[in-house]
Amino acid sequence: MRLLNILLIAVLIISASVVYKIKFDSTLQAGKVDRLRNELRHERNAIATLRAEWAKLDTPSRIQALADRFLPQLQPAKPTQFSNFDDLPARPPALPPPANGDALSTMAGSSNSDMTGSVPAKR
Amino acid sequence: MLYGRDVDRNVKAKARLILAIVVFAGIYTVIGLRLVMFAIASNAHGTHHTFAQDAVATARPDILDRNGQILATDVKSPSLYAEPRKIIDVEEAVELLTATLPDLDAKELRERLSSKRGFVWLRREITPVQQREIYRLGLPGIGFLTENKRVYPNGTTVSQPIGLVNIDNQGIAGIEKWLDGQGLAALHMAGLATDRLQRPVRLSLDLRVQWALHDELAKAKEHFKAKAAAGVVLNVNTGEVVALVSEPDYNPNNPREANDPTRINRMTTGVYEMGSTFKVLTVAMGLDSGKMTLGSTFDARQPLHFGRFAIHDYEPQHRFLSIPEIFTYSSNIGAARMALSLGVPYHQAFLKKMGQLDRMRTELPESAEPLVPKRWADINTATIAFGHGLSVAPLQAAMGVAACLNGGLLITPTFLKRDRAEALQVAKHVLNPSTSVKMRYLMRLNAEKGTGTFANVPGYYVGGKTGTAEKVINGRYAKHRLMTDFMAILPADQPRYLLLIMLDEPQAVEGTHGFATAGWNAGPTAGKVIKRIAPLLDIEPRFNLPDADHLILAKTVSSNTSP
Repeated sequence: MRLLNILLIAVLIISASVVYKIKFDSTLQAGKVDRLRNELRHERNAIATLRAEWAKLDTPSRIQALADRFLPQLQPAKPTQFSNFDDLPARPPALPPPANGDALSTMAGSSNSDMTGSVPAKR
Repeated sequence: MLYGRDVDRNVKAKARLILAIVVFAGIYTVIGLRLVMFAIASNAHGTHHTFAQDAVATARPDILDRNGQILATDVKSPSLYAEPRKIIDVEEAVELLTATLPDLDAKELRERLSSKRGFVWLRREITPVQQREIYRLGLPGIGFLTENKRVYPNGTTVSQPIGLVNIDNQGIAGIEKWLDGQGLAALHMAGLATDRLQRPVRLSLDLRVQWALHDELAKAKEHFKAKAAAGVVLNVNTGEVVALVSEPDYNPNNPREANDPTRINRMTTGVYEMGSTFKVLTVAMGLDSGKMTLGSTFDARQPLHFGRFAIHDYEPQHRFLSIPEIFTYSSNIGAARMALSLGVPYHQAFLKKMGQLDRMRTELPESAEPLVPKRWADINTATIAFGHGLSVAPLQAAMGVAACLNGGLLITPTFLKRDRAEALQVAKHVLNPSTSVKMRYLMRLNAEKGTGTFANVPGYYVGGKTGTAEKVINGRYAKHRLMTDFMAILPADQPRYLLLIMLDEPQAVEGTHGFATAGWNAGPTAGKVIKRIAPLLDIEPRFNLPDADHLILAKTVSSNTSP
């Protein structure tokens, strides 16, 4: 009978301490979740602010004003300047093998300087 | 003494014991329940604070254009408030606050701080720097709340369609107001709209096209000294509004401008007599009736008389005109005779079918009822045939013209992104597809050799129709107060987009040879806009195409071409 009592008391003490520990841990975890949530909120707000700022810097009216000021040599594209894949000249039958192992300089030497762009100049 | 003297002491003790047990059991039950409640509620307690801070923050979903560019978004910004009951020294607080925020009115501030209210706003939306400075002052009873501030990064460019919000983040115009009608207002009332994770709203607008249109219209308004300029780009196959501009407009970041009545959205809120662009509908009606063909001719030798009134032509030809000639010379007499030959009831029924007689409802809350004549006699049909005597919202007219060109489908315009299948569900079949083909031909013909030549950008196969209406001033038509408009379709053989340009009272300027009609101002403006927007709309330039007779007509209607 006495043994049983001692056993029960021991179980009681152990379970109480386990419950206390779980409770303590959960409080810690809850605090952590709260902190993370707060952090998330802050990050989201920061992202929103940055996105708004980006959109403001990216707005076409601003870009056009900047382009007019700093890139005066740029012109709007004319309809004749658009092209499609069908208009590309056919690939040359065979490229001459690179003479000195430098493919780029070989190609530059063999290319026809009149054939840049896709639309032939109007006569 | 509950019991008499003669009661057994044992029974008495038992009763007292039971009473004590019940009382204690009750007390412990209450304590236990309370503990359970605390255990459950304690988790929520930690986040309670942040919710309180966000409670005034009525978040709104972002508004994006069709490519995902931000048109409107929320940014958190601190607002300054005071709790007057907690303030110890009002004079000190006033002095320090006005030193930090110099534009704060000292007298008003003193009044507010001396009041006995629990809470007063001092300044909404201060900068983080100001917040830090005020925080350092260490005044009791002064605090900050984080609020959502609506920002419109594109300023005036898209203000007309998206509208704006007031200081409490409630939509008061445009798409913003529509959003509130979609249940957002109820969320705000319940204080639940605090979440940034609301789904963004994706509009049909394309910011790049919108800007090109905005820029060209602003230039045109300046150049032709017009009172106003407006334009819309409509996808004729889905009814999506790709761009909508109405100059003068306002900056939604500065709400005071928006109240100015001259800055209304002319495309949906104003109703106008559209002038000759309405002949598109008249001719489509004639061709669709089956009673006439492209070869049919109408007498345009004499002005058409109705009692005191006479209908003249702008470029009189003094002969019989075929339908293509009526269209390209923009003959008022011809159009009037054409409508009269079908009769008033037919004309009315046709315009009703084309949605020109009822108020058109889009997402925008601003809309206007068309001005329809109360008594509709022959003379009304004659004038409405060339666009006078019936005032409609320009976007509504664009919808009707789009139906004439897209194969006969009347699609109510929308500001939300949608695809062809969704559009077909709401589309109404109003015209024969063959009529539509003939209308494309006529539009193209007019751009090749009619009044629309200035808008004919080589490569994009534009079709177009001009319209010039005299404005009604004090009940009479004013000869020199014009409303000019231009409807362009591109490309004309397989229509994808309809462009409508409208100028209010443009003047004859250098280079227009003294003319102020649509062909000289709205037409060239449309040309400039097309040059800029066609590449953005993914329209491939084509050259060396055959003329309209061969490209559009030859395929489908060979029997009707020969007169």
